[in-house]
Amino acid sequence: MAALLSLLPQRRCLCTKSHKKWSVKQVTKTNFEESLSEIKTHIAHSDFIAVSLQRTGSVSAPWHRFLPFDTSHTAYAKAKRAAERFQLLQFAVCPFSIRDSKLLAHPYNFHLFPRDELKIGMPSYSFSCQTSYLTSMAREGFDFNACIYDGISYLSRAQESAAILQMRNPIPITHVVKSSSTPSVADSVFIERIKSRVKYWRNACKDSSGNRDEPLLSSLRKLVLGTEEYGSRPCMNIDVCSERQVQLVLEMLEEFSDDLVPLIIPAKGGATQAVRVILTSSKEDKVLLQNELQNLQEEQTKKVRGFREVIDLISASHRPVVSHNSLNDFTFIHSKFLTPLPPNVDEFMCSLHLVFPHILDVQQLMKEIGPLRKVTNIPTAISYLKDHFFAPIDMETLHQDTANDGKIHGHNVLRIAHLFAKLCSILQIAPTESGNKSLVPALEEYANILNPCSMSPQESTDGDISIWTNNTRKVSCEHLVFLWGFKRTMTAGILKSLLQGSHDVFSEEFDVRLVDKSCAIVVFWKPGLSKTFLNVMNSKEICGSLRELVSEGLRAACYATYKRVCSLGIWEADLAESLEKALEEPDCLRKTDSGTNPLEVYWFSDLVINLDEL
Amino acid sequence: MNAHHRATRRALSRALSRALARPFSTSSPKPSGAAFPLKHVTKSNFEPALAELRQHLRAADFVAIDLEMSGVTSAPWRESLEFDRSDVRYLKVKDSAEKFAVLQFGVCPFRWDPSTHSFVAHPHNFYVFPRQELPVDGPSYEFLCQTTSIDFLARYQFDFNACIYEGISYLSRQQEHEALRRLNGAYEDTLSDTRCNLKEVRDVRLDRMADILFTERIKNRFSEWRDGLLRDRIGGFQLQWNSNDSKQQFQTIFFKMRPAISLTGFTSHQFKLIQWVINKHFEDLTYVHVTGENFCSQQLVVYTESKDDIDLLMKEVKDEHRRGAEMKIQSAIGFRQVIDLLSSEQKLIVGHNCFLDIAHVYSKFLGPLPLTGEEFVSSINKYFPHIVDTKLLLNANYVLQQRMNKSSTSLSSAFARLCSQIAFGSESKGLAFLQPVQVEVQVDDIRTSNWNSGAKHEAGYDAFMTGCIFAQACSHLGIDFKLHLPSENLAHNEKLYKQINHLYLSWTNGDIIDLSTGKIEEPLGTKYPKKQYSKILFENIILIWGFPSKLKAQEIRQCISKVFSPTSVTSVYHLDESAVFVQFSKAGFVSDFLVLKETLERSDGPISVLHPLAKLLEGGNTRAASYEIYKDICSSPISEVLFADQAEAVGIKWKTQVIEPKLAVESQENGSFREDNAIRNVPKSAENSEHNVEKDILSGHCEIIDSLSTAEANQM
Repeated sequence: MAALLSLLPQRRCLCTKSHKKWSVKQVTKTNFEESLSEIKTHIAHSDFIAVSLQRTGSVSAPWHRFLPFDTSHTAYAKAKRAAERFQLLQFAVCPFSIRDSKLLAHPYNFHLFPRDELKIGMPSYSFSCQTSYLTSMAREGFDFNACIYDGISYLSRAQESAAILQMRNPIPITHVVKSSSTPSVADSVFIERIKSRVKYWRNACKDSSGNRDEPLLSSLRKLVLGTEEYGSRPCMNIDVCSERQVQLVLEMLEEFSDDLVPLIIPAKGGATQAVRVILTSSKEDKVLLQNELQNLQEEQTKKVRGFREVIDLISASHRPVVSHNSLNDFTFIHSKFLTPLPPNVDEFMCSLHLVFPHILDVQQLMKEIGPLRKVTNIPTAISYLKDHFFAPIDMETLHQDTANDGKIHGHNVLRIAHLFAKLCSILQIAPTESGNKSLVPALEEYANILNPCSMSPQESTDGDISIWTNNTRKVSCEHLVFLWGFKRTMTAGILKSLLQGSHDVFSEEFDVRLVDKSCAIVVFWKPGLSKTFLNVMNSKEICGSLRELVSEGLRAACYATYKRVCSLGIWEADLAESLEKALEEPDCLRKTDSGTNPLEVYWFSDLVINLDEL
Repeated sequence: MNAHHRATRRALSRALSRALARPFSTSSPKPSGAAFPLKHVTKSNFEPALAELRQHLRAADFVAIDLEMSGVTSAPWRESLEFDRSDVRYLKVKDSAEKFAVLQFGVCPFRWDPSTHSFVAHPHNFYVFPRQELPVDGPSYEFLCQTTSIDFLARYQFDFNACIYEGISYLSRQQEHEALRRLNGAYEDTLSDTRCNLKEVRDVRLDRMADILFTERIKNRFSEWRDGLLRDRIGGFQLQWNSNDSKQQFQTIFFKMRPAISLTGFTSHQFKLIQWVINKHFEDLTYVHVTGENFCSQQLVVYTESKDDIDLLMKEVKDEHRRGAEMKIQSAIGFRQVIDLLSSEQKLIVGHNCFLDIAHVYSKFLGPLPLTGEEFVSSINKYFPHIVDTKLLLNANYVLQQRMNKSSTSLSSAFARLCSQIAFGSESKGLAFLQPVQVEVQVDDIRTSNWNSGAKHEAGYDAFMTGCIFAQACSHLGIDFKLHLPSENLAHNEKLYKQINHLYLSWTNGDIIDLSTGKIEEPLGTKYPKKQYSKILFENIILIWGFPSKLKAQEIRQCISKVFSPTSVTSVYHLDESAVFVQFSKAGFVSDFLVLKETLERSDGPISVLHPLAKLLEGGNTRAASYEIYKDICSSPISEVLFADQAEAVGIKWKTQVIEPKLAVESQENGSFREDNAIRNVPKSAENSEHNVEKDILSGHCEIIDSLSTAEANQM
């Protein structure tokens, strides 16, 4: 701790220096209400919204991160696993506009905790934490207590509908749709009976409203009439046995729509238990009650949605959302705030598109600037741009510096906005057109590309990979083979030299890289050789030193096996273990390959997978 | 320090507010005693605290422990249920201990002080966090948090920052062995691979002009230095470098009694070049890389006299490497040292409803939990031969039950009831207890007989309460501490003997496990209050899941009763909203049901809506299996929130588990199925069922094996 203490003030100095005017509003459940209305106006007046998320973990093993040979399907499977496993602790939102070289930003940092506010086991029964992740957050001074004590809770859209059923709050009915079917005899009998009961009750209530009974009499009257009180107004409950009866009762009540207001009382499990009828004293009083009920319902939903209100605001604004690592961010957003993640990436993209029509990943813009295409760190990218381009961006945040308590959270979102503005300026994209709030065409080509491994925006249209041909080579997935079952201390170089002499297929050009300590990937540059090799591995004619290697445990699988690993979710620590299990899975016949799968990935001749990073 | 102080301040203010609130809430206005906090231990004060604790443990008569975890159940259906057989119960405890983290560990040694006729307690509150201190070549450390548990801790102001920033890390015995084994492996490897490493260095290619010039200069420098050494063997071999800069980069020192040059201020590429130059041009110089005492790495070029001397030097360097790595492992053991102390002192360990706590201790500090409860029990008994559970003690003994006067045996209420003089700071609250046992608390140098930190749900305080309850309970059982000799172990006291090493396997159904024999017993004592069910016959139970979610237990009972007989279903019990246990009156019904379901679903076309089971099978996703499948599903490391999703995730693809032929035949012999009125509802094909059974068994059996092997595979 002594070391930490000596570090902290230093860090604080640095931060206050670099973010002198950059004050990020920290939002917890105590100031959520006020911040919500504030951010609403800011969103309305801004052109873009940057987001940045703080999670409790990311990848459990080296090969679980996005690798250069991942297709959009395998990358999505990896992101999905992380989003379902880990939790969000902070969600920074920054509505911003760019005017010439000026960036107007309104950063907010929301502290989240999935507290079960309604005692219904939602939003999250449990979540995983990655020790190394928490430790590094601690190193940056993250305040876990603030987050857990005062974090804002939320429910996803799917959870909200489930919660409303579970909470069984009365639902006001404003409009009754007439059913088309003609009532049966039983229906008519039921209706007549209820009708006379309601009439009698209504009249009795109206009569008694004038004269004052003595207490005993009035309680007797209540007992006889089955009348209760809703607030200050009398009401009665009509028990129903089916949804058909609910419909009939509601239709019947239309007759008395001048002064009766119906409410549905839900039963456990979504059905209706009763219809509650409230008697109002006049038409005006009825309007008053209806407004009251509506407010009550809004209050209730607000409480249920919590932080998700912010997500809904962003979605409703139709502003382009700017993020860094968009696949990770939006799988989290989808699973925590919308609905559970769909099994494949196409459905995910469709579902996401309906909610967020324009997603811009700064990483995609960075790919236009050659040396930045592999930079994943935002500060590095910003400092690179500073050194190499003249694109001054004036940042202005519009929060008053609220009593600086040395909190340093949520600045990443500002960096993303800043980086985005710089990139637009360098790439000579005017991010907005005057008088037009929709996405400018120049940005449109970068929008909605979430796959971190797709190399350039142009690629999706004409397959042109223009600038980086010197160290990027396009390779079909068919030419890739996974190899495992060698000594853990093996390097790619040694493995390559071992393979070189082992069989004829290796006399042509090929490359070997380690994916993790257990598994390597081999690319055959000559078409067809991968298949030959896989056949050889499975045949009896295998001979020479390759036979030796196989008898020592060497195994091989094609790219489809890797895809199956990802789609079945076999997330072992070692890729080798996962591949073995995928091969053992009985349903090899499953149609995992649809024709639409992009079967091409990129091969970096300088691909280095750093195992020390984890 | 910071965190520690924060925690301290927090506890202080809490205790203060409690002290202020007390006069209004209780009848005894006597202010509670000293409100100093308990001893919080984080990594900054761990070493001195451990040394102190060692002394206290040695002198202690017993030690109370308590744990705070990041959660208890990984899914709602993994909670303890009435229908859990003891082996299933163990699997659930195992799952919990494997998935959740220990965040706080309370240890409180109690020693009888004959001079003051009172116990002295030393409550310690350790913040624990499973930080990954050693580079492990495997998955990263992860643990689960149960949202409600974390929220619970937050409500009691648990300091998560102290835990994550400053918590003490640990290695289990198994992790330590693994790390040492890997170290030895690496050591052997490097010994044999020395030449190989050299070869790799030789591959350096000098392409760039700068590299060529640099290596040339290095070569000259070193030959100068070496020549200087040889020339000047007797006098000081100070080498005169040209500039100050060089002096700093090449510093002459002694390394393992040999003259050497310590290299600083080079890039890794330059180091590589230097290494290449040394290997290529100098027979008598050796390039070594050592990690110093303060873990800073050092690059050296050492003068060696002969080839043998090189080997000797390399061995010395490697040994040092190894020692350094061993020290790292040693320091990574961290909090486990406390557990090792508890184990080696063999003192009586006291916990409150502590089976889960003990399982956590095993999985965090010894090694992976065994697959069966029997194995677990026999190995835990080796490490901790004497454990006593206060919850069991209070429920098992008649005298104590009287004392408790039917109040709850939860930790805080038992403490308030039995130890009111400590809990409320009053001498005795009306009730004339035999003799309230005096407990003095000592934290560092402060000692008081009237302590109240009030820090409920801090592990250290909970351990203290547990110990107090135990001391008081012993006194009620007639153990007179005044006559008790410090040399005799409380665990052997005849008045306690029956309860030693007995733990509740499950408080829900009262099963008790005897750690010394591994036997599971029915509830001890007079009568068990919570036991409402008649004996559960697991072979009569069928598990059904995936049915329409609106179906209630009562409706399921009606469905099934219509097919078999009105009395065929003993009970229906919801596992969660997606699954039920149905207990039949006879084991035969289990296989009858499975056969019937299989037949109904195999016949082409939809099941007649008139069939009584149609309601249950609606939707076509209803699965059914015997109790054994429930056990398999529990043993899976997967935890989906809904049981039906869990079963699917575990890899169960069949709809109906078909039972062993022997049972099926038996059920036919029992015959009640045929006599039943409901027989007319069974479609014709059921009459062929006897013929089909065998085929079904064949296919069904294979499927079961499949699902088992996936479950096993998942566990690996």
